[in-house]
Amino acid sequence: MTSIDTLAAPGGRRAEARSISSRIWRLAFASVEFRIGLIVFAVLLFAALLYPELSGIDPTKMNIRAKMTPPLFMGEDWSWAHPLGTDQLGRDMLARSLVGLRYSILIGVTTTVLMLAVGALIGLVAGYYGKSIDTVLMRLTDAQLSIPMIILAITILGVSRPTIPSIILVLGLAGWPVYARVMRSTIMAERKKEYVRGAMVLGATDFRIMVLLLLPLVLPPMAFVAVLDVARMMIFESVLGFLGLGVQPPTPTFGNIIADGRKYLLNAWWIATMPGIFLCLTLTSINLMGASLERARNTIYGGA
Amino acid sequence: MFILRFLLRRLAQGALIIFLVSALIFTLLRVVPGDPVRLMAGGMAPEALIEEIATEMGLRDPIPVQFTRYMSGVVQGDLGQSFVRPANGAAVGGASFDDSTRSARAEVWDLIAETAPKTIQLACLAMVFALMIAIPIGVWGGLHPGGWPDRIALYCSSVFVSLPNFWLGIILALLLSVKLKLLPAIGYGGFAWTILPALVLAIEIAPFIIRSLTVSVAQIMGQNFIDIAGVRGLSRNQIIFRHGAKNAAVPLLNLLGVQFSMLLGGVLVVEFIFDYPGLGLLTINAVMQRDFPLIQGIAIVTAAAFVLINIVVDLLSTLIDPRLEY
Repeated sequence: MTSIDTLAAPGGRRAEARSISSRIWRLAFASVEFRIGLIVFAVLLFAALLYPELSGIDPTKMNIRAKMTPPLFMGEDWSWAHPLGTDQLGRDMLARSLVGLRYSILIGVTTTVLMLAVGALIGLVAGYYGKSIDTVLMRLTDAQLSIPMIILAITILGVSRPTIPSIILVLGLAGWPVYARVMRSTIMAERKKEYVRGAMVLGATDFRIMVLLLLPLVLPPMAFVAVLDVARMMIFESVLGFLGLGVQPPTPTFGNIIADGRKYLLNAWWIATMPGIFLCLTLTSINLMGASLERARNTIYGGA
Repeated sequence: MFILRFLLRRLAQGALIIFLVSALIFTLLRVVPGDPVRLMAGGMAPEALIEEIATEMGLRDPIPVQFTRYMSGVVQGDLGQSFVRPANGAAVGGASFDDSTRSARAEVWDLIAETAPKTIQLACLAMVFALMIAIPIGVWGGLHPGGWPDRIALYCSSVFVSLPNFWLGIILALLLSVKLKLLPAIGYGGFAWTILPALVLAIEIAPFIIRSLTVSVAQIMGQNFIDIAGVRGLSRNQIIFRHGAKNAAVPLLNLLGVQFSMLLGGVLVVEFIFDYPGLGLLTINAVMQRDFPLIQGIAIVTAAAFVLINIVVDLLSTLIDPRLEY
C-alpha cells in the first residue's frame, strides 16, 4: 500500500489492521492446539460459572462428619456426594476448586487488561514523543523491570490488607514494563513511516495520530500475546494466595486451599492436589491458545 | 577501547537504575500502610512509646530526608541494620524487640552475604537442569518446524509453564521425598537438599528456553549459510552444532538476562516451600516482619545483580557474534 492511498483513505490503514488481526485469528484457530485449548477452557469456564450455583453446594459449608472424604474410587469411604472429596472441615472440594477458578480467572483477566493498558499508554507516549520523555519513562521501566515483580507484590500486599481490587492493582502495576517496552519500540518504528508523517503534515493533532492511527494498528497484535499473561497472572494470584497475601479465607482460592491442604498432605493428599490439577488444566488450556496466537502472529509478521 | 567505553556507559546506566530501584522501594515501603514499629514494639505498646521509638529511629522524618540519609550510607557500602534480627543469627519475633540492643542487631549486608551463596547454588543448579530439559526438546523442535517434534515442544512448554511452582514443589516433595524417600526436601543439610528445589525451578524456566530455542534454531536452519555448509561437505551434526548452536546461543543468552528477575521470583516461592535458607526465604521473612532496611538491601542487591548480569550477557553476546553492537 502506498503512502498516497493511506492519506487519501485513512480508513485503509484501519482496514489493514483489522485484516491482520483476523488473519492471526484464523491462522491460530486452524491449529489443533488452539482448538484443544479453547474447548478445555470453555468447559472449565462453564463449570466454574454454573456448577456452584446449579448443584446448590455451598463451598464454605462445613460438615465435620464428612471431613476428609477421599475422591471417587479412592480409599474406603468415598461418596458420590463429593466427587473430589472434602477438605479438613468437610467442605466440598469440587465446589471449592470451581469457585477458586472463578476468582483466578477474574483476577487474571482484569490484571492483564490493566497492565496492557498502562504499558501501552506509557510505551505509546515514550515512543511517540521520544527525547527526554522517552528517556525518563524508559529508565523508570528499566528500574521496575529489575525488581522481581513478586517481591514488589508481596512487599505491598504484605504490609497492607489484600483485597481483590488491591491485588489486581498491585499485579497490574507490577507487570506493565514489558508492554511499555514492546509498545515503545513498535511505535518508534511506526512513527517514521510516511502515513504518520503525512498525517502530521496535514495538521493532525498528536492525540489524533496516536489514538486513531497508531493504536488500532499496534494494539491488537500485542493483545494476542497478552493471552499468555492471563495465565501468568493467574499463577501469581495463586502464589499470593498461597503466601496468605491473596483473597482472604473463607473465600476459597487456589492459593489458600493449597496452603491449607499442605498441612494435611499425609492423611488427605487430595486437598492440596485437586485444586492444583484444576489450575494446571486451566493454565495449560490458556497457554495453548496463547502459544498458537503467538505463533500465528510471528508467522504473519515474519511472512508479511 | 570499545569494551571500556561500553562498560563505562552501561555501569553509569546501571547506577541510575539501582538508584531508581532504591527510591521506588524506599518510598513504597513508607507510603503503604503498616507500621514496622508497631510490629517491633508489640501490639500492646502504648501509642506514645511507638511514636517515641519511631522518632528516635528517624521514621517520622520526611521521606526525602530519610532517603538521603539512607543513600549516603549505601554509597559508603553500609546497607544499615535489620529492624528485627539480632546479630547472633536467630530471628526474633516482634514482641521481644528491645531498643537498647540496637547495636547488636544484624547488619543487612551480613544477612545477605550469608544467604546469597545458597541461592546462587540453587539458581545455577536449576539453570543446569533447565538446559538439560530444554535443549533436546527445543533444538529438536527447531530442526523440524511444523512437524511433530515442533508440536511436542509446544505442548511441553505449554504444560511446564502451567505448573504453578508452589504446587509442583508440594507434589514432588510428597512423591519423591515422603513416598519414595529418594531426596531430602525440607531445610538444608548439604548439596542433596538443593536438588529438589532446583528441579522445580528448572521446570519453571525450561519452557521459555524451549520457546526461544525452537524459534531461533528454526530461523537459523532456514538460512543460506546452512545450506552452503551442506554443499561444503560438512555432516549434518557438524552443521547443527558448529553453525546452528553458536547462532542460537545469542538469543538464549539474552533471554537468560531478561528472565533473571523471573528466576528470582521463582526462587522466592521455592525457597519458602522447601524452607531453603537462601535469599528468597530471607526476603519473605523480611516482608512479613516489615524489616524495611533488609527489604531495601535485598532490592538494591538484586537490582545490582540484574544490571551486572545483563552487562555480562551483552558482552558475551558480542564475543559470540561480533556483528552485534551495544
